[in-house]
Amino acid sequence: MRRIIHSIRAALRFRGYKPKPLSILSARRWAQQFDKNDRVLAEKLLDGVIYITESETREILVKQNDDLMSRLKVAGLPAKKLIYVSVHDAASSSSVMLNMLRDSANLERRGCKIIDGRDTLGLVKAMNTIGEGALVYVDDFVGSGTQFCTERDFIAKNFVGTFSEFIISPSICEEAFDELSKRDVQVFAGHKHVKSERPLYAECTVFNEKQRQRLTAICNGIDKFGLGFNGLATMVILYRNAPNTVPVMLRGSSNQKPYFGIFPRTTDLPIPAQARS
Amino acid sequence: MPILNPSQPAVPTIVPTGQLRHLTVEQVKRSDSNPRHLFDADELLELKTNIAEHGVLVPITVYQAKGQAKFSILDGERRYRCMVDLVKEGRRGKDGAELTLPANVVEPPTKIAGLLYMFSIHNFREGWELMPTALSLKIVMADLGTSDNKSLNKLTGLSEPQIERCKKLLLFPEKFQELSLDPDPKTRIPSNFWIEALPVLDLALETSDQLKKLGRDRSTEKLVEKYRDKKIKSVIHFRRIMESYELTEDDAPARSKVLRRIEEFFLNPKLETREVFDEFVVEKKRVQNALAACESFLIDLRKFRLRYTASDDERSNLRRALHEVQEYCESLEEALKGSDDPEASQD
Repeated sequence: MRRIIHSIRAALRFRGYKPKPLSILSARRWAQQFDKNDRVLAEKLLDGVIYITESETREILVKQNDDLMSRLKVAGLPAKKLIYVSVHDAASSSSVMLNMLRDSANLERRGCKIIDGRDTLGLVKAMNTIGEGALVYVDDFVGSGTQFCTERDFIAKNFVGTFSEFIISPSICEEAFDELSKRDVQVFAGHKHVKSERPLYAECTVFNEKQRQRLTAICNGIDKFGLGFNGLATMVILYRNAPNTVPVMLRGSSNQKPYFGIFPRTTDLPIPAQARS
Repeated sequence: MPILNPSQPAVPTIVPTGQLRHLTVEQVKRSDSNPRHLFDADELLELKTNIAEHGVLVPITVYQAKGQAKFSILDGERRYRCMVDLVKEGRRGKDGAELTLPANVVEPPTKIAGLLYMFSIHNFREGWELMPTALSLKIVMADLGTSDNKSLNKLTGLSEPQIERCKKLLLFPEKFQELSLDPDPKTRIPSNFWIEALPVLDLALETSDQLKKLGRDRSTEKLVEKYRDKKIKSVIHFRRIMESYELTEDDAPARSKVLRRIEEFFLNPKLETREVFDEFVVEKKRVQNALAACESFLIDLRKFRLRYTASDDERSNLRRALHEVQEYCESLEEALKGSDDPEASQD
């Protein structure tokens, strides 16, 4: 009975997950993949997920952006002096977040510029025209910060004029703060994802040492990067996708075989037979 | 569900300019455009030892951009880096307090001043990072209304050959420039690709009717595709094409064969540079002869014992002649420079 209630609760809580909506049945099937003794641990791990819905994402982005714009206005930088930049590929979460913020906060109507981070020439031209202002990067989640900082450092070689830098994101891992601070990219995040929120970290008290080691062993048994990219074992899941830093128990194997996840990443979903032909 | 704890930085304090402040290393931001290899490790160590003993005696110069929490360095990057190292080593001031850097806070530089400062750093940069420099140079040329190499050399500190290379990059349409600004080194086209490809493109479009019809952009795209397909394994291989052309100057049948090959090379995606042009450049005797000529020229000059030549006329004539030799040698040496981007894997 307890299991059924847990599955119902999970299905209700994560029903909006876009890559693969969760049903009561699939929540049950997910837990049943694990040995009887491990199921309780798996379900407890699932309870530790910090799920950010679409409306929460929008709300966070708009709120953080409002705060940032107010602060910049006081500092002498009105909206027309702001350039919003998406990082990573054109179809990445960053572009989606930026589009969401653009529409919800009327960025263009307020006179802000919006640039794809890969359009270096566009960025140089915009910076050249404005001369002095702020660059606002928008992303859905920042893990270690390595990927973001690598891309940011490359485009920074082309900066023209005097610009302060900011990042708006629903959630950012504590590991990224140091790297961002070195570059003076100021963080406006709805949530700072600290290690004590991650059950597979010693800093977190959800599991005892033995249970934690058991879950780590299961993850590493499924995949050599079982704890996610850089071993971050993060627990933040966004309605749109799960970061690659999430433990593999939650997101499943590549192609969802042999283990399927509650939060499969879009890139880990099997390609439908029709699409393959 | 866990509570979301928002994170926002503290409001930066606005600091009046023209002020001497004592800043901790955390309050200072290193320069983005300052490449690490700019600094000589031994000199840096010497400076660090000195700072450890006496502290920073000459204040660094910083500014604070609007909305920025930290101070950006305008002058004093080496002193800052030494201080960062000392703080990492756990050093404290004589009074046991945290180490601080004296800093003159000035107004943020104007756009052009910022660019000119960046150029002074870019002087030390290698060729494969030339596209950002070229873009900045374009802004300087437009804002200051000059494209003269000598004036630009004075303004930016870039050498005239560097300026010339930047200008070559700017000759390409923006869609091609963008390819050298790709953050991913695996897909980035190195700046040197355009510089080396330019004479080949000019020659091909001048001599081939088919390529003329195809147009300059499409012909350029064909070279890019070949490079991506590893049919141009090194940007230096473009020189084989030009060398083949130059070497057949006095041999009409061979020259027309080279021109046909150039056309085929553009139009057939499978043809690789070396297999198409190596037969024209196998002769290595020219370079050996040139090396021997350099050697005997130096031996002869030394033999003449010219250092104490007394006659004004003779000295003046000799200096003129040497200057001519020097100019030619420098231009030749400059032309022989060039390499692949070390980040570009074409093997």
